[in-house]
Amino acid sequence: MEGDDENPPLAVRIEEVNEDGVSESFSQSEILEGTAGQSPVGVTVITGYLGAGKSTLVNYILNAQHGKRIAVILNEFGEEIGVERAMINEGDGGALVEEWVELANGCVCCTVKHSLVQALEQLVQRKERLDNILLETTGLADPAPLASVLWLDDQLESAVRLDSIITVADAKNLKLQLDEYRDYASFPEAFLQIAFADVVILNKIDLIPHEDSEPGTSDALEDLEKEIHNINSLATVIRSLRCQVDLCKILNRQAYGAQNLAHLEELLEEHKSIPSTSRHDYSVRTFCINERQPVDLTKLRLWVEDLLWEKKSNMDLYRCKGVLNVHGSDQLHTLQAVREIYEIVPARKWQQKEKKTNRIVFIGRNLDVDILGDSLRACVVLT
Amino acid sequence: MDKRSSSPAESVLSCARCGKPAYLQCPKCMELKLPREGAAFCTQDCFKAAWSSHKSVHLKSKLATGIASTPSEQSQEGWLYCLKKGQTRTSVLPHFDWTGPLRPYPISKHCLVPEGIEKPDWALDGIPKIEPNSDLQNIVEIKTPEQIERMRETCRIAREVLDAAARIIRPGITTDEIDKVVHEATIAAGGYPSPLNYHFFPKSCCTSVNEVICHGIPDARRLEDGDIVNVDVTVYYKGVHGDLNETYFVGNVDEASQQLVRCTYECLEKAISIVKPGVRFREVGEVINRHTSMSGFSVVKSYCGHGIGELFHCAPNIPHYGRNKAVGVMKAGQTFTIEPMINAGVWRDRLWPDGWTAVTADGKRSAQFEHTLLVTETGVEVLTARLPSSPNVFPWLNP
Repeated sequence: MEGDDENPPLAVRIEEVNEDGVSESFSQSEILEGTAGQSPVGVTVITGYLGAGKSTLVNYILNAQHGKRIAVILNEFGEEIGVERAMINEGDGGALVEEWVELANGCVCCTVKHSLVQALEQLVQRKERLDNILLETTGLADPAPLASVLWLDDQLESAVRLDSIITVADAKNLKLQLDEYRDYASFPEAFLQIAFADVVILNKIDLIPHEDSEPGTSDALEDLEKEIHNINSLATVIRSLRCQVDLCKILNRQAYGAQNLAHLEELLEEHKSIPSTSRHDYSVRTFCINERQPVDLTKLRLWVEDLLWEKKSNMDLYRCKGVLNVHGSDQLHTLQAVREIYEIVPARKWQQKEKKTNRIVFIGRNLDVDILGDSLRACVVLT
Repeated sequence: MDKRSSSPAESVLSCARCGKPAYLQCPKCMELKLPREGAAFCTQDCFKAAWSSHKSVHLKSKLATGIASTPSEQSQEGWLYCLKKGQTRTSVLPHFDWTGPLRPYPISKHCLVPEGIEKPDWALDGIPKIEPNSDLQNIVEIKTPEQIERMRETCRIAREVLDAAARIIRPGITTDEIDKVVHEATIAAGGYPSPLNYHFFPKSCCTSVNEVICHGIPDARRLEDGDIVNVDVTVYYKGVHGDLNETYFVGNVDEASQQLVRCTYECLEKAISIVKPGVRFREVGEVINRHTSMSGFSVVKSYCGHGIGELFHCAPNIPHYGRNKAVGVMKAGQTFTIEPMINAGVWRDRLWPDGWTAVTADGKRSAQFEHTLLVTETGVEVLTARLPSSPNVFPWLNP
């Protein structure tokens, strides 16, 4: 029998052998978020129906010669499996390289960062340079939970940040969906995907019937755009054929930072008053409310929390963006909210010639613009 | 057993026969993946001389692994290092750019929990099933009076278990021995030690020494005079969990560490003092951050306080840093933990190869304290509060 020898075998020199042979995964220097000097990499969430053209968009972005290093996470498997596939255009001449991103499994319950965020940070850490990350979602009905996970506190100094949510819509099908399913309850996905979008790419515009004018310019498309803006006035609509869009319009939009203020204010300028068909609307709609007088910040916070957290009224709020004229402050404050998560931060000083005002855009369901306006007014500091 | 050297190339193993520095090891032990301790020799001659008694180790190992086929079964015999969040073991110290002086030590075999003790669903296969899919991850539960009564009882047991661990803290004992005390005390009370096999965590409590922030795995390392050590206990009893932790001094501890530990204690104290209905969860982080900054320390941001009850971890998430976007306000009947981790140096953390142990990125020390709290109509009830019988281990509590 083996081991029965009277004589011992030859003893072996002790060497520091790494049994697993994967020292790399341990000395990855873990989550060196926000490595000194590097600004966080923007994560763009791409949502939309199968067939709308998401893959076309992704392929276009990956293959176009734009000089940007982009990683696309294909989000095929989810937490159950624990890995995601990523395609990165870092090969020779921008060739695509496939990589696997492992989701940290385990005790995510008492960790602040979701496993997806940790995985994205590790990806950024591994790569010499990444300009953008695209997260392509399959069949994501409601982008809000993903946005919540990716919209991190600045304090975390993460290597990634949520840049924007882009919905790719098939122009022809969208029209059908919105026409047929005016009642949100029966077909929420289309409405939710538009409601949470920062950009809506209206694709396959050649399939929309047009009169004697060129494809891509028709009343039908105009109407469709109006309909989209009725649902979400904050979204930028881009018309496209086969998703060939100007990348500058969809990458680095900074839709979730307090930084991109010009964009924010520009959007808000257009919404001095939205003529709504009714003051109280059951389907998903956008409303904008204005109030010139300065507001008490404490009262305002309670007001926002009432709307988002307590939900005493029947209003269902999806997204908010606004500028605030805060009493006692010379700083313009911005308000941002996705479902229950919100943030009010001072952004910059009001300029001399600017008319200080409060202007807030709400996107949601069952919104009552009177209730919103009145309750905001209740926060005003009477002078 | 000492692995104090900072450079992995040096061997500080002693010859199993004569005690001199050893640079050779038994190839059979290597093949069977047995620990190097007891299998290292200074020369072939010593090895030869020790062979007849040494080879029995192989036989013992063969018998033990005869039926087993998975690596984790092999850990039943012999002490091995933990890897992959507890799913595998290795006999070789993993490679890592260690941030401080501390190193992992081999861990002992899996402890058993007797039949008849109610166990959470991860006890069997390491994977919680109810918890991740529960609605309670999104909504904060308001506990019924009956649930509250159970939590009071369980939290009291958890307190007594932690106190038992605190009583044996002294230079020379291993964190594994602390774990044994926690394990035995928990099952003696009829409870299950919640950390055991939670996402494959290999032990019944977390022991975090010096630069370890949290989730340290009890192992063969002996506590040294001057160390600080946190023991984190969670007990599952009558269907609910009770979670608390404290940081203790080992022997004589330097001034800086004393200040760190005391500051952390005060952070928790101050945070608890603002708990009452109507207070925003995000306020907790502001209070802790303020007190920490004033003392010149930093707040760990990767781990947070959490809801607790029939689930080990659930909503709300309570970050300990300032300017966070935590959702919600406190309401009577909610139970959650606050567990600030405060670092002497930078706030950043890193994870060891075992997949659990979080250490400070700069290798400086970290301290933590935790309580399970109940929001009452008028304020707060500290369910895991110190008892009159709790050991006197915090000098600042003495008048």
